Amino acid sequence: MSAPGGRPSAAGWAARGAVTAALAALVLVVPALRGNVDVHTYTGAVIYAIIGLSLNVLLGYTGQISLGHQAFVGIGAFTSAYMVSRQGQPFAAGIAMAVVMGGLQALVLGAVSLRVTGLYFALVTLAYGTMAEESLFNIQSLTGGSAGQPAPKPMWFTTDLRYYYLCLALLGAVLWIDWRLMKTKGGRALLAVRENPRVAATFGADVKVYTLMAFVVAGAFAGLGGALLAHNDTFVVRDLFNFQLALVFVIMTVIGGLRNRTGVVLGSAFFALSGYFFDKLFKHGLSIPGLKVLPKEYVPIVIGPLLLLFTLTRHPGGVGQQIRPLQRWLRGRPFSFRDTHDAEVRVSDVRA
Amino acid sequence: MNSHVLAQALVIGVITGAGYGLVALGLVLIHKSSGVFNFAQGEFGTVAVYTLYRVHDKIGVPLLPAMLVGLLASVAMALATERVIVRRLFDAPRVTLLVATAGVSLLAISLELWLGEARLRFIQPALGRLDRLSVFSVQVSDQRLLVLAALALLAVLLGLFFSRTNLGLAILAVSQEPVATELMGISVRRLSSFIWGLTGLLAGIAGMLTAPVVGSFGPGFLTFNALIPGFTGAVLGGMNSLPGAFLGGIVVGVAQSLAVSSPAFHSIPGAGAVMVFVLLLAVLTVRPQGLLGKA
Repeated sequence: MSAPGGRPSAAGWAARGAVTAALAALVLVVPALRGNVDVHTYTGAVIYAIIGLSLNVLLGYTGQISLGHQAFVGIGAFTSAYMVSRQGQPFAAGIAMAVVMGGLQALVLGAVSLRVTGLYFALVTLAYGTMAEESLFNIQSLTGGSAGQPAPKPMWFTTDLRYYYLCLALLGAVLWIDWRLMKTKGGRALLAVRENPRVAATFGADVKVYTLMAFVVAGAFAGLGGALLAHNDTFVVRDLFNFQLALVFVIMTVIGGLRNRTGVVLGSAFFALSGYFFDKLFKHGLSIPGLKVLPKEYVPIVIGPLLLLFTLTRHPGGVGQQIRPLQRWLRGRPFSFRDTHDAEVRVSDVRA
Repeated sequence: MNSHVLAQALVIGVITGAGYGLVALGLVLIHKSSGVFNFAQGEFGTVAVYTLYRVHDKIGVPLLPAMLVGLLASVAMALATERVIVRRLFDAPRVTLLVATAGVSLLAISLELWLGEARLRFIQPALGRLDRLSVFSVQVSDQRLLVLAALALLAVLLGLFFSRTNLGLAILAVSQEPVATELMGISVRRLSSFIWGLTGLLAGIAGMLTAPVVGSFGPGFLTFNALIPGFTGAVLGGMNSLPGAFLGGIVVGVAQSLAVSSPAFHSIPGAGAVMVFVLLLAVLTVRPQGLLGKA
């Protein structure tokens, strides 16, 4: 198609255009051709991508890990459901409030606990998640207790398909904000902090303040994701937000590839869709002789840890690193697997 | 809170806390030797309980041999975790290992959900009588007495192991000065398997002692019941002292039990979890070296 290093030929550009168009069609057109149940699942994938990006801000940019992300997402979900169905507020106010609450709780929790980092911070978030699960989400007047809280779809977006496009637009907004934030002084400082906190501090970057800022951004994104999740299901129950969900969030972000937005989006979407794919693949469930049939809701938590351990020990760059050649090619460079076998990104960047 | 409720909360708290203490002990042992927070610790214990249930209630093997099989299962799981994951990631940063052990924990929970179904299983206490003994006019069930006796025996055995045997002394040495121990010709890596096996054993015992007291168990039983309190206990003990971890576990158990039974907290759902979270935050921010540690 083209000489290595040179510009692609006209045919080369056409091929790249065709692949881009096919990818866009997959995301934009295919859902319009499927039934409501399928579209509902795709919307879930888009929302998971937002949650994955939220965790990426924390885990990828600051190296701190949250094992209590189900609490952030859950608080977003319950806030929006409460605003819309109890207070009679419009959907936009519910979403905005969920974002604010997500950021606010991250600010409070971070201000108290970010003096400890690494393993201890992970432990604090784990305890916070469990506390939210057992206490906050059981407050009858706010969450409806075990009965749950209705969260109707917003006006103009009452069909599953329209709501899908709304979530897709918001995912685009999150990606854009994430990208712009990383270009600001704070974003560049975060990168420096992650590379080497001591050197960054020597050059005047306030490690604690920037880490806290990233935590707040992550909380706000998670709140948004939670609110969208609630309105996608039109109902929110506390049992959804359990420890297993928090671990799936971490796993999908790590497998996606830290600090690689495309990878994180793909990894998250894969986990949201894994049950769906599994259903398509095994019409009557996977029945291994001597074992019980694997129900599709358990698929993410069964394959997740296996993929995680594989990623950690073999491919620390995750999905993001595997798709690098394709991304480079789409931008007009020759297709090559060079540079992709060395780990560009490691989970090991996470510091203790 | 009247004195009877207080006494009851204290007695129950100490016994529950002893279970946390066992988990905390394992967490500290692993943290000191491998430098990682082992989030799979709870699941080592749950696997022992599931195996015990299978072998005893389903196949009909008598209780004591069934318990041995259960303990073998948890030790095997701990050894497998060490061999397959920890050893491979020996030089990786510690948070990577943390994510990996959390993955092991999720894998175990998902397998229990899949193969054991999501429901709770009820477990008969080994001893049925409730009224044999009372402490501060609090009735202590035989099952709780059994737990206490087992824990006391275990404490003595562990004490002897760590003070009298070469292996125990080597483990203590590794947990205090890994580099110096290596220089003295003791293989830290070889001891690592042994320590993981030992913590598997401790977790298995903790699971088997806790399950009949709670009365039922389900997927992720010990992770949800004892992992965070265990960690909090270990942090209370400064994350480096074995007796400190055990005592820390008991403190957490008592604090949690007081919170649950105190009338002031009746309106708060999940008061126990709130208490543990507040305790953890308080220790980490005010006294990160632990209650017994030097400043």
